[in-house]
Amino acid sequence: MAKKFLLKLFVVVAAVTLVAVGCGNDDDDAGPVSPSDEGFAAAFVFVGPVGDAGWTWAHNEGRRYAESQTGAKTLFVESVPEVAEDFRAVVVDFIENEGADVIFATSFGYMDPMEELAGEYPDVVFEHASGYEMNDTNFGNYFGRMYQPRYLSGMAAGAITEANQIGYVAAFPIPEVLRGINAFTLGAQRVNPDVEVHVTWTFTWFDPAVEGDSAAALLEAGADVIAMHQDSTAPGLAAQEAGARWVSYNSDMSAFAPDAFITAPVWNWGPYYARIIEAVAAGTYSPGSYWGGMDDEIVALAPLADDVPANVAADIEAVAASMVDGSWDVFTGEIRDQDGNVVVAAGETMDDGSMLGMGFFVEGVVGNASP
Amino acid sequence: MIRPVLARRERVLPAVQAFAFLVGIVAALALGLILLWTSGHNPAEVYERMFDSAFMGTDSLSRTLERATPLALTGLSVAVAGSMGLWNIGAEGQMMAGAIVATGVAMMADGLSGPLLIALMIVAGIAGGMVLMLGPALARSHLRVSEIITTLMLVYVAIRVVEWLETGPWKDPDSFGFAVIEPVPEQAALPGLFGRANIGMLIALGLLIVFWLAVSRTAWGYELRLAGSSPDTARYAGVSLRRKILTALLLSGGIAGLAGAVQLTGSAARLDSGLSNGYGFAGIIVAALALMRPSGVAVVAFVFGAVQVGGQSIQTLGVSSAISDILQGMILFGALVAAVLFNYRIRWIGPAVESSGDEPEEPEEPEPAEDAA
Repeated sequence: MAKKFLLKLFVVVAAVTLVAVGCGNDDDDAGPVSPSDEGFAAAFVFVGPVGDAGWTWAHNEGRRYAESQTGAKTLFVESVPEVAEDFRAVVVDFIENEGADVIFATSFGYMDPMEELAGEYPDVVFEHASGYEMNDTNFGNYFGRMYQPRYLSGMAAGAITEANQIGYVAAFPIPEVLRGINAFTLGAQRVNPDVEVHVTWTFTWFDPAVEGDSAAALLEAGADVIAMHQDSTAPGLAAQEAGARWVSYNSDMSAFAPDAFITAPVWNWGPYYARIIEAVAAGTYSPGSYWGGMDDEIVALAPLADDVPANVAADIEAVAASMVDGSWDVFTGEIRDQDGNVVVAAGETMDDGSMLGMGFFVEGVVGNASP
Repeated sequence: MIRPVLARRERVLPAVQAFAFLVGIVAALALGLILLWTSGHNPAEVYERMFDSAFMGTDSLSRTLERATPLALTGLSVAVAGSMGLWNIGAEGQMMAGAIVATGVAMMADGLSGPLLIALMIVAGIAGGMVLMLGPALARSHLRVSEIITTLMLVYVAIRVVEWLETGPWKDPDSFGFAVIEPVPEQAALPGLFGRANIGMLIALGLLIVFWLAVSRTAWGYELRLAGSSPDTARYAGVSLRRKILTALLLSGGIAGLAGAVQLTGSAARLDSGLSNGYGFAGIIVAALALMRPSGVAVVAFVFGAVQVGGQSIQTLGVSSAISDILQGMILFGALVAAVLFNYRIRWIGPAVESSGDEPEEPEEPEPAEDAA
């Protein structure tokens, strides 16, 4: 009797368990779900190693933040070449084998294959960092107004330099990099009108040897502060070795060259990733072209070194506040280019389209904008 | 002191080579167990994913074939030069040169119909690869300048040319200032076969057969191999070494250029500095594993492609790219070691008479005959 009862109980428990597990695994269930539901997954494709301390590291921090905020399962693959067959293989595996519901691709070179995949998998959301392609249903792009904290970092650098000569180790001659150099220069000029920013091009995103050498050459030519746009810490190490100073990029890299470090314009991708994951899970996602700034906290300035003068630090804070409340932005006239032509008239502010296509250097930059 | 030397075995059956290849891979996978286990992964799950993603189902198989296609072409490129004892280290650059010229043709003739445009782009690709090889080939044939150095250095020249085109003359005006070259016209996409595999695969296969026949079955191929193995004999037999060097290297460059054109019209949407994706350098490994024989290139390229697809796929299971790279390297290394051990035998030789003086040279034992497996 008791035996029979136990057997019945077992059967019922087993059946309930099976049904529960079955429901949990049901990935094709349409309606809104919670990101923390089993079966929901967000997948990230990274161009570099997560340990690079730079670009990929910042995205991976964003992934971790989003995971802790939303409870969503997140997956990632690092060091994926920007080649169609590599990118496709990773994304198709994420979707087919791991049931990914949203894919974040964090490098420009993934754009073409991502556009294709967005057409092939209409039920999956595709989000592309730094690109310009999108569609109306499941493919959007996102980026941040890094030029804002770059301007602030330029103010700090302009106050620190004694030689009035800053070296800028630049990556590729594309609008994003030019915008950063111009914003940095304008910020430095705000506190130090005599400052010059000398630019060299490395044509690399992550090549510590080349980037370190470029920094060393700029230092030898007379610069006493180094700024940069790549993902390595090599320029900082070169600056520290020469007894010079350094503005890093992507993340607070003060631990790598503590004596040289002044500050850094940094990425803070986490809140955006959390928002998109929530929207995808709730079924409210619609693609956009997101370009957030200081007001959205997707970009920020790392803590300042102790020797940045107090009045400059206060000024930086005030300017940052004007960016956050939208009363002022970096490319507000009058701004002249290298040849002295007025590119933004006094009182006017450059529109997003012109900023996104920026192809010139402002007055005070020494170098060639189209090498 | 007794030291080991490698002596080439007289005759090795293809079946024995295939077996050696397999033994090497299995041995590497066994070692990989330790690697995966100590790094906290379930080896069974990882290997299953690796196998499934490379072979199971037409989609998986097509991914492997998509990768095997450029690998087969660059492998053949290196093997053609290698069958004459020459080393084309720069297939990576010749691929780029091929893709550059093919893109130029596509820009000038984008009004043409698909098949015609594709044919033109492929011819342009071959020409591009040959042009980049012309300098190294002439320097080698007429001045005896090592082709290893010159072909390698031109890789970086070719990549820099692409970067210059991207940011300068070929920058796409519709790209919002981004430094990209405009995509190749839609009609220039190679027709697909199934999944990701396209007719580039058939082009590679056809070329492999042609070169296999040409190198192993024709007088031209015999002269080529002879010129490589014993130049003096070849010269005595009336073979022009200069001409042979020029032909072998230019063909090698042309095949790598073709790989660039196939990659451009097959998998990539547009020319960029990452288009060659290491296939040119990987071609050196493919050719070495295939012992410089076109017949072996097809098999090795397929296995190499599968290893790459599998290695990429296990990363979505959470295996780091470093562990995946080590695993892929181990598999290829295992196959290479096995190929060497099965094609050569180790002989232990005693100290040479002139070096140590008073000790007599040890008599060399003849190797036992049953050493095959």
